[in-house]
Amino acid sequence: MSVLSTWGLAASSIIERPLRSFLTSLGIIIGVASVYAMLMLGEVAKRKVEESLNSINTRTMQVWPDWNRRRSSQSRPSMPFSEQDIRDMRQINGVYAATGTITGRSYTIATDTNDLNGNFLGVDPDQLKASGNEIVLGENISFADIETRRPVVVISQAIQQRLFDGQNPLGQTIRVRNVAFLVKGVATKAESNVSFGNDDVFVWAPINVARERVIGGNRFIPNHVSNIRVVGDLGEDLNTIEEEINIVLRRSRDLKIGSPPDYRIFSSRGWQEQAASQTKSLSYLLAAMGSISLLVGGVGVMNIMLVSVTERTREIGLRMAMGAKKSNIRNQFLTESILLCMLSGVLGLLIGHFASQFAVKAIEQEPFFSPTVALIAFGSAWIIGMVFGFLPARRAANLNPIEALRHE
Amino acid sequence: MNTTETAGHHPLISCSNLTKIYKMGQTEVRALDAVDLEIFAGEFVAIVGSSGSGKSTLMNMLGALDQPTNGQVKINNNDLGAMKSNALAAFRNETIGFVFQQFQLLPKKTALKNVILPLQYRKPRVKDEKERASHALGLVGLSDRTSHRPSELSGGQQQRVAIARALAGSPKVLLADEPTGALDSKTSTDIMLLMQGLNAQGITIIVITHEDEVAAYAQRVIEFKDGRIISDIQKSEAAS
Repeated sequence: MSVLSTWGLAASSIIERPLRSFLTSLGIIIGVASVYAMLMLGEVAKRKVEESLNSINTRTMQVWPDWNRRRSSQSRPSMPFSEQDIRDMRQINGVYAATGTITGRSYTIATDTNDLNGNFLGVDPDQLKASGNEIVLGENISFADIETRRPVVVISQAIQQRLFDGQNPLGQTIRVRNVAFLVKGVATKAESNVSFGNDDVFVWAPINVARERVIGGNRFIPNHVSNIRVVGDLGEDLNTIEEEINIVLRRSRDLKIGSPPDYRIFSSRGWQEQAASQTKSLSYLLAAMGSISLLVGGVGVMNIMLVSVTERTREIGLRMAMGAKKSNIRNQFLTESILLCMLSGVLGLLIGHFASQFAVKAIEQEPFFSPTVALIAFGSAWIIGMVFGFLPARRAANLNPIEALRHE
Repeated sequence: MNTTETAGHHPLISCSNLTKIYKMGQTEVRALDAVDLEIFAGEFVAIVGSSGSGKSTLMNMLGALDQPTNGQVKINNNDLGAMKSNALAAFRNETIGFVFQQFQLLPKKTALKNVILPLQYRKPRVKDEKERASHALGLVGLSDRTSHRPSELSGGQQQRVAIARALAGSPKVLLADEPTGALDSKTSTDIMLLMQGLNAQGITIIVITHEDEVAAYAQRVIEFKDGRIISDIQKSEAAS
């Protein structure tokens, strides 16, 4: 019997019993659909996590001073960093930006007619890169501004809205602690899902101007910086960079070998990676649940195939009498089971695809089609058909033709 | 007794010391007990006997559906006792045409599809299976019923389809097991006359029956009892 007519035979026996075929395939359809949808969601989650791992926030390490544990905290509180530290960190391989700020929270920022409370930060030009913000109007703080101690500021869009009614503020003057600053730029707030307290109401001034005229110096370090932000290049290993930062800081802070650091390095990478691996294991768990329904569906297929073999015992006997070999009979039933599962697989894929696209849109991700995932889902349907069709097919092939013909 | 043998032909079917023993628990049933039998090409043989006489067992042996416990059955120079399952299947396909009491048609398939069935298992592949099947349906007078399903045919017509199916593969022997058992007497007569006509065209026919009326159409009647042949009568002319 030719391969083609075996498939034709399988197809016709599925079509001849439409309701039963459909009910039998339901389990497989649902199984394939859920395996596909779950793997798909896993894929989406993976992409989303990868995306966020590459975002500037995840590549950022924040360095803050800590209490020096070896001295009395009363006599020597946390020691800030110096501008030299930042310059050294910029030299580290794989560093995209290193910037230091001195922060002053809740300063009154005023024009002649209006005022509000906001964050006043002394920054260097790298602040823009490291924060992921963008200049939408005017210019960023420059190194020249720092060198010449120019009283200029970059303000956030929120301040532009609230102090200048959204009008062009360039060239206008704002006052912070009675110091007049010229507005030279407007920055957007970075799109961020991780916030380290960078509100959208901020004013950036050259770091030395801010220190000397507004915030005030530090009694231990002349060019002090209250915290440092280091951003790694795309794809760089942050652990290596962190080690280099440690080397720079331990030297500049004169820490003995083995003594605990008097600063801390924070990064969001750890929990991002944890989230990634959790998403992954969640999607595996869901796919495993899908596989269980596929397995149950497979048992359903086997059950119906066994019923079908019993029902068609006389047909099997007849075919044997007409010259069908055992292998012909076995292939007939195996093909039927595989075909049924493959058809279910196609339906399941369609359903799974639309369901997952719907879900993907719901979490605001770009819908896409993954051939690998489709292949896994479809292939598992095929395997189910093969595995669970085997026993009924073998039973059919091993029937005794005489008894089969006499079967009522 | 066997006039054709003296003509020097080899028998188409020859059984020697053919024995079949079924084990039913502790007891052994000798369904066939050292049967010697020869059937020649072109014969129309009726095998008669009451139930349990061994005629059905003989039918299964001749149809290569079962193998002997002892002795030999040779058909068309094939020693069936020595053949494996696949060879037996091919043998059945090429040499035997079965006709069953219950017709055994596939209910969802048309008459033509039913007749094509044995051709689908033929090796090498039959390319003109539709033409051959139509021809076979023509032989039984059902050229106009090719696309009907069994449920749309009368009992007699269904049995004709079954005969056409048996003929489609051009077998050496037509093996009919109670072919009229499910038919009324009028239709039975039609079927037996059809078989006679086919036999007249040179087809070897073996009919298993318990009805003497049916056996009367055959040229030769072999009677079985308790697994043995008790009579083997060659008629000079077939009854009508």
